[in-house]
Amino acid sequence: MNGLMILNGGLQSSIQDAGRVGVSDIGLTQSGAMDELAFGYVQMLLGNAFNTSTIEIALGGLSFKAQGRVCIALGGADMGCTLNGQAISMWTTYNLMDGDILSFGFASAGHFAYVGVVGGFQTPKLYGSYSTSMKEGLGGIEGRKLSAGDFLACAPSQLKEKRYLKQEFVPNYGEEVNLRLVLGYQEALFDEAQKEAFFNTVYTYKGEGDRMGYRLSGEKIVPKVNGILSEPICYGAVQIPTHGEPIVLLKEHQTIGGYPKIGSVLSMDCFKLSQIKPGGRVRFKVISQNEAQAIAQAFYHFFRF
Amino acid sequence: MNFTFQIASYNTFIIYFGHAIDPMVSKEVQKAYRALKNAMVQGILEIIPSYASLMVSYDVLKHDYEPLRARVESIILGAKPIDEKAKKIITIPTYYHPEVGLDLEAVAEEKNVTIEEIIALHVKQKYNVYAVGFAPGFAYLGELDLALASPRLANPRKAIPKGSVSIADRQTAVYPTQSPGGWKILGRTPIAMFDTAYEGLSLLHVGDLVQFEAISKAEFLKLGGVL
Repeated sequence: MNGLMILNGGLQSSIQDAGRVGVSDIGLTQSGAMDELAFGYVQMLLGNAFNTSTIEIALGGLSFKAQGRVCIALGGADMGCTLNGQAISMWTTYNLMDGDILSFGFASAGHFAYVGVVGGFQTPKLYGSYSTSMKEGLGGIEGRKLSAGDFLACAPSQLKEKRYLKQEFVPNYGEEVNLRLVLGYQEALFDEAQKEAFFNTVYTYKGEGDRMGYRLSGEKIVPKVNGILSEPICYGAVQIPTHGEPIVLLKEHQTIGGYPKIGSVLSMDCFKLSQIKPGGRVRFKVISQNEAQAIAQAFYHFFRF
Repeated sequence: MNFTFQIASYNTFIIYFGHAIDPMVSKEVQKAYRALKNAMVQGILEIIPSYASLMVSYDVLKHDYEPLRARVESIILGAKPIDEKAKKIITIPTYYHPEVGLDLEAVAEEKNVTIEEIIALHVKQKYNVYAVGFAPGFAYLGELDLALASPRLANPRKAIPKGSVSIADRQTAVYPTQSPGGWKILGRTPIAMFDTAYEGLSLLHVGDLVQFEAISKAEFLKLGGVL
């Protein structure tokens, strides 16, 4: 069989595509690639459709052996990847031969990396998606992270020409990220002074986060009410629980919740937030729904043609 | 009934029908939810109902906010009322006993009634499914008789067993899988709340009616219940 044999699953590697759609009304989270930008470039390098399954590596430690001929593309955080012991670079394609071993170290900047193959992995599809939901134990390989001995089958492939992402497109994973936020929702539950504090604070990400969301430390914002009647939540929503520190909800966010929200971070900025390291600084700024929509339209036009 | 639209993010809006747990408000949410589902508008990604609100997210390559908002508004205005008599009633067999109902004795004590009275209060009525969330297949059911209303545990449990029939304030629910939680547990059902074999994956959907039925230990075990 053609595919990749996992030798070491690393800290948390999982199968992810663009996510699960249309099942939030029964409580399933959307899941999917935490950073759709790096994920999207990987698909583009391989000539895949945007919504194709990949391996998402969190922090690093993954290694695998090719079985048969497999063309892969790498994107996202640089984890010091080696091919048969030789250092190789990200944002490009490689034609792997039978027995080739790819190993990732750990990221010094950025948090997530993606390994794609032509046509994606032939893992089971669940409710329209290949994505693993860690929290629910659903999808991907038995709803869990990859571990040694897992075999990910894929079609044999070789690309005639090596493809690179142009340097000007390569994202720079820094220590600061500005999050553009669409106000709305329960904005009115926060008074002017609280909103001012929220937008003037440089928050720190202390590593309190996972695929569900990132908690940010800094100025505490206390809304006028303690909780609200439980209501649906969307990706990017900035929830302010009783402790007063914002939580930006990411790909495995709960579908319903009862904490007040000041607004929602533009998805493209959530992708950047996902890549920030502990100690990274985060600022919020307001963007109109119209501007946000235009940025998202440009992003998805680019990747989905 | 009046409803208002609020922007939630660049591709999501939320429609409020009220701001309280109220069967009349829930009815409007259910009506709108059903009408929107049936309209099958291309490019709408999610339609998520809850107690008093409904969230809609869409593909920005297929819709802009304003025209979609107008279209959704007209679908809701034209929605047919829910026929209460035609509602699906789902019975949930439950073994109520302190060996699985870990808080049954404490709730009886708190209310100063017998365990039998607690059970009678829980099974006597049909509950509305107000929302499904928190975990796949976790349905928020209401409203509990005031005489049974009890606050959440001060210290939530790390692992509530799968199938636990529980209460919190004026709500009741069944835990679809083992998970942490602070609801008080009265009993356990042997039937699955979430299963790939179910059409629609979840046993319960917003708009259904639910009634609990007390069963014996023998029946619980016969139905596949695990102690």
